[in-house]
Amino acid sequence: MDNLKTKHFTFQLKDLEISVELIEELARIDDSMPEYSRFLKEEIDSTLSLSQIEGGYTILPAQLDQNTIHIGDHCFNVGKSIANKFTNSTHIAIFTCTTGPLISDRLKELNSQGLILEAYLIDLLGSVMVEKAMDKLQAIIEAECTSKGVNITNRYSPGYMNWDVKEQKDLFAFLPENFCGIKLNESCLMTPVKSVSGFIGIGEKVRFIKHACQSCNSTNCLYRNSKNHC
Amino acid sequence: MEKLFEQLAYCIEFGKINKQSPYPPNMKDQEGAGELTGQLLDQGVSADDILQKALIVGMERVGVKFRENKVFVPQVLMSAKAMDAAMIQLKPHFANNPGSQKGTFIIGTVEGDLHDIGKNLVSMMVEGNGYEVIDLGTNVKAEVFIEAAEKNPKAVIGLSALLTTTMNNMEKITIAIKKHNKNTTVCVGGAPVNQEFCERIGADNYSPDPQGTVEFLNRTVA
Ligand code: B1M
Repeated sequence: MDNLKTKHFTFQLKDLEISVELIEELARIDDSMPEYSRFLKEEIDSTLSLSQIEGGYTILPAQLDQNTIHIGDHCFNVGKSIANKFTNSTHIAIFTCTTGPLISDRLKELNSQGLILEAYLIDLLGSVMVEKAMDKLQAIIEAECTSKGVNITNRYSPGYMNWDVKEQKDLFAFLPENFCGIKLNESCLMTPVKSVSGFIGIGEKVRFIKHACQSCNSTNCLYRNSKNHC
Repeated sequence: MEKLFEQLAYCIEFGKINKQSPYPPNMKDQEGAGELTGQLLDQGVSADDILQKALIVGMERVGVKFRENKVFVPQVLMSAKAMDAAMIQLKPHFANNPGSQKGTFIIGTVEGDLHDIGKNLVSMMVEGNGYEVIDLGTNVKAEVFIEAAEKNPKAVIGLSALLTTTMNNMEKITIAIKKHNKNTTVCVGGAPVNQEFCERIGADNYSPDPQGTVEFLNRTVA
């Protein structure tokens, strides 16, 4: 596959098809709780509809061994279990995606009004937004690859399993400065907070393995074993 | 009186804010934390007794249920709202008698980290269990924790972090706090933090959940 330049996309909140029921289910709001569906609908349809959701990627040739992935002169120590998932990759799509800053601004506003439950729901909505936008970006990468006769792996991020979050510094070195408006601080925290980054493996013989909670070491994860995750 | 205390504890446990509040549905049209607190005060019960014998009792039950995954964040937040409805009425009484709270807890998310839901939950639970809480927010530097601790000499400090990289800052901050005053107690928590890390950096307590921090404070401060 030819080396490609960085590609950049913007997404509309309405196109992410996020249902109020999904947020309520993830928050574990059951029928006994007060009515929040109208609030969430209003936020999705109006207040947050102007969120600058963006994402992008670059595809580069890569060499793999047991624990590492080499791209250009960088060596990513992704750990054995993640490296396994990339088996047979000849290229890597390096991606990032964000909801933009509007979510954080709205959170501040709600918290300052003492609307703590509403703020919690918006925080959760932000996490779902970035994951759904990433699903779209992943589908774009997949379509591009399939049209060239190659397959993709699932997506994997620094900070998961044994892949050190610190390697986000190297990851971002492959993307233009301030790409999608994302900034990385000294501790490798991305702002806006609702942002993700990572790799997708590409190759003729790669396998797409669905995420499974049992194989993740985050036993106290918010989404663990939730119906709508994985 | 005991019955009223128990009713109020129940309102806190199940997040019944006031009479108008429709939640929980099985308590519809019943009096909530706001009204019951008012009644207790009218009957001449001290703010301290209301806090100790009703509010803390209710909040502790929520904390335990949250730890055991029997309730989730929204239910905890409803309890916090009910607690607020009661505390608004009690606070003026505490202002005249600062000794009535169990102690002071200074909390913040460490420098470099902007996550705050976990920290906010700990803050609410600790406050609901009878402590004064000074919340320094997110991205808090060692100097700011130290300055707050100087102003509140007996306070315990709580540090929260959500990334392994910001755990390094937790270590730096703990060392700086202890260097400044080795007697300052430091509690740590957050998704990637564990007991081993807590011991390695010389912090005094690690809790995976807010109730653990409350129990530690109750053992060591109250
Ligand atoms: C003082 O005493 C105490 C005592 C107890 C204390 C305490 C202090 N502070 C907290 N507690 C405790 O009490 C609270 C209530 O029980 C708890 O607080 P928490 O804050 O842990 O819990 C909250 C109430 C709910 N929890 C949450 O809101 C976080 C949930 C999980 C699933 C999570 C989410 C949702 C997200 N994330 Co991500 N995320 C994960 C989380 C996994 C998990 N274990 O939960 C975690 C934190 N994330 C992780 C990672 C790696 C990342 N995330 C990222 C992104 C995201 C989303 C945007 C998709 C989303 C939103 C993030 C946000 N907070 O806004 C990235 C970073 C984002 C950034 N801005 O830089 C990224 C770096 C991945 C990437 N490269 O893209 C992991 C960090 C581990 C590490 N190696 O550092 C992670 C633990 C997941 C994992 N399986 O490994 C306890 O920890």
